[in-house]
Amino acid sequence: MTLEEILAARPSPGQPRAYSFPKFERTVLPSGLQVLTVHVPGRPLVSANLIFQRGAVDEPADLAGATILAARAMTEGTERYPGVELIEAAERLGSTLHAEASWDAFAASVEVAASRLRAALELLDELVERPTFPAEEVARLRDERLNDLLQMRAEPRRRVEHAFSQSIYTAESPYWRLAAGDRSTVERLTRDELIGIHRALLSPQRSALVVGGDLTGLDVPRMAEEVLGSLASAGSGQSSASAVSGEPTAKPALSVPVADSAVDRTIVRLYHRPGSVQSEVRIGHVGLPRRISDFHAVQVMAAILGGLFNSRLQLNLREDKGYTYGVGAGFDMRRGAGPFAVRTAVQTAVTGPAISEALSELRRMRDTLVTEAELAAARDYMVGVFPLRFETPGAVVGAIGGLYVNGLPDDELACYRDLIERVTALDVQKAAQDHIHPERLAIVLVGDADVVAGDLEAAGFGQLEVIREELPEESGEAGSGDGEDE
Amino acid sequence: MTAPSVSFTDERLVNGLRLIIAEDHMAPVVAVCIWYAVGSKNEVPGKTGFAHLFEHVMFQGSRHVAKTEHMGLVQAAGGTLNGTTWLDRTNYFETMPSHQLELALWLEADRMATLLDALNQENLDNQRDVVKNEKRSSYDNRPYGQWSNKLQELLFPPEHPYHHPTIGSMEDLDAASLEDVAGFFRTYYPPNNAVLAIAGDVDPAQARAWVEHYFGEIAANPAIPPLGDLSLPATLGGERREIVEDRVPLPRHYFGFRAPRFGDPRLEALEVAAQILAGGKGSRLYRRLVREERIAQDVAFFTLGFVGGASIAAGQATVRPGVDPDVVERAFEEELERLGREPVTADELARARALIETYELESLQRVEERADRLAMFATLLDDPDMINRQLERYLSVTPEEIQAVAAEVFRPDNRVVITYVPAAEAAAGQDEETAA
Repeated sequence: MTLEEILAARPSPGQPRAYSFPKFERTVLPSGLQVLTVHVPGRPLVSANLIFQRGAVDEPADLAGATILAARAMTEGTERYPGVELIEAAERLGSTLHAEASWDAFAASVEVAASRLRAALELLDELVERPTFPAEEVARLRDERLNDLLQMRAEPRRRVEHAFSQSIYTAESPYWRLAAGDRSTVERLTRDELIGIHRALLSPQRSALVVGGDLTGLDVPRMAEEVLGSLASAGSGQSSASAVSGEPTAKPALSVPVADSAVDRTIVRLYHRPGSVQSEVRIGHVGLPRRISDFHAVQVMAAILGGLFNSRLQLNLREDKGYTYGVGAGFDMRRGAGPFAVRTAVQTAVTGPAISEALSELRRMRDTLVTEAELAAARDYMVGVFPLRFETPGAVVGAIGGLYVNGLPDDELACYRDLIERVTALDVQKAAQDHIHPERLAIVLVGDADVVAGDLEAAGFGQLEVIREELPEESGEAGSGDGEDE
Repeated sequence: MTAPSVSFTDERLVNGLRLIIAEDHMAPVVAVCIWYAVGSKNEVPGKTGFAHLFEHVMFQGSRHVAKTEHMGLVQAAGGTLNGTTWLDRTNYFETMPSHQLELALWLEADRMATLLDALNQENLDNQRDVVKNEKRSSYDNRPYGQWSNKLQELLFPPEHPYHHPTIGSMEDLDAASLEDVAGFFRTYYPPNNAVLAIAGDVDPAQARAWVEHYFGEIAANPAIPPLGDLSLPATLGGERREIVEDRVPLPRHYFGFRAPRFGDPRLEALEVAAQILAGGKGSRLYRRLVREERIAQDVAFFTLGFVGGASIAAGQATVRPGVDPDVVERAFEEELERLGREPVTADELARARALIETYELESLQRVEERADRLAMFATLLDDPDMINRQLERYLSVTPEEIQAVAAEVFRPDNRVVITYVPAAEAAAGQDEETAA
């Protein structure tokens, strides 16, 4: 065979190896704490995640940022391990303790050799049950957040995300706020507020321990009972009655946050950043919560629009026009309706044309059926990549934690591929028609208004508002942080 | 915990392609990773940024694969993919459900054999625009965005190919022509300049047969031009400083040092030192500058390993409002220099080792990482078995070795300090194109 003959023949796939999402076992401790374990053979590193169904969305508006700040402060010292000793104790086990809050949940997690799991759980318990919130460390973390807010204003990407949230939600919605809080609320946070947040967090009936890895020879539920069994006493004090293994006891209903739209017709909001060589652009509106009946159709639709590498937006704005290094679109699904957004950064000179193309892709998603080839590409990718997503225990544990946080059924992931397979072109179009609203978009930009405002005005996408505020001369604290929580 | 052990085969096809296969069946996935021994160090003056632009062209199709089809086929097969370019090398990788391995091999072979058949001006111009937008996104429109480019510029002399950044300049990107692409492909993309690593759920005999079939007939280039002598004095020979005005609210220092080359055990000692200096909240710099003295908002320290001339050891500290940047610089440098004066404590070293061990085990869980490291060690050190010795080498680093390399590297006359300060005017700055 010549090289030409060899390469002219495309290979066809072999027989796929059977795959199913790892099964997990559930035990409910007398306190109400659920223990979810998943055995992943051959993986000596175990991932343990202690999750509480309470997040930034549940905090009062005037304490915005308190939950995330409390999470950060929980590794700053406990009764038994003052100061940095907690961190050091974890490091001696070869692990790093993570305590993180998101909109929907707080989670303390650790990755550790299976033989050291018990010692690591003891540290997790210490962190969660007995943090001391030293006043001076709280003050330092608060100042670091204030510094981070200053840095945020200087970073076009973070600044546009913030402006976008504040454009699409009414001020009554928690999602209008920054999850980690802004200056007006963070400045006021002290040890006392964090202690209050911590107390509200600690309900065993709203918490689960998820452990995954090679669990051969480990009785994780028993270990959890011995180490975390007293969790109830630290919390709100409610005790669960009859805990039956295999079936969770009556769960308190998850609260559904307000997520009202502030936009009733398309608007354009341009934040002036002189000399910007690109415009950071966000286009969208209030999207969807995680618990919806057409979840799988929405996911396929979003993949075709802006999720795949070869999504419609990418093929148009990147591979055809060269306007951008990358463009994506999707729904950030939370307990309440998170945002739907098209996200990109485009060369300043083509800002208007790039937005026109993005808008036409949004309309096309609603107006016509996707082709069979597009549908197959998205469906085959989502089904095929599923095992790759769950190669490590950390990923499996994270996904099971996600089910718990959102109150989803245990078989949600096991059914995922079948349900994706069944999505039709009509389902995709219906999802677009139901959930994409081109007539009431917020188009939010951070860019050089002196160059792009004229084009945006002329294009007539919607009412244009140009915000020319410069970086304020703020004194006090500010910084670059690890938080991309905005 | 047991040390990771990756068993693999290592062979060469007649045309020089190096093939490494590591079989394990833990998950039904397989990674294909191909490293070409060409990077931005092979660029000539006036053509900076070309190796990376070329990497983009590699996704624009080949004789039997249409534009955008490479991505499309891999994704439809349930795979993920990407490519990256760096000073010493360019790599391309696909992670696939294991029954789709042959597709990934065919795609890599088709572009290695026939890329130029699909090359046209329209695709080149399109990817030039995409890459220029990548440069704007990643460097020019980003606060502090030029730090790494400036660090290379100051650490390496103008005639050295590490002097210029991999992303290149707008002017040079504009100058890239179809002839440049063709010449670069013929010179640097033959099978004898590549290492192909396959890791995961694979039948080695079948994989070997497919590789022979698809790659075996691709012609070698017997005349890959050698790079010449990249060696450099071990130290800079005098401190270099730059102050950069930018649209940033907080000042920030970036520190850079010439360091031993990739593969030198002293660089590994330096990596352990970096863990002790800034690896998390228990580290020296974090404790002193962030937690105790509260003069910095954040700190970092890390190494960038290169095989030609010298590696880079680099750090950063963001200055808290109201704090004199000089105070932060002195504290940072004191901690580096202290490492050269006194041995680290047994407890610090034990914690660093434990964290490195977990990190290594965590990384090697994924087939993509195993394939990548095998190809990396084969390409850069001609020693793929380093994948099995790396952890042991980190764990055997002694306090004396850390002290010795710190004393060699963290010297004022081997130091670059780049200090970002808030610009007086809001529009002053870093945007390369604003002047153009």
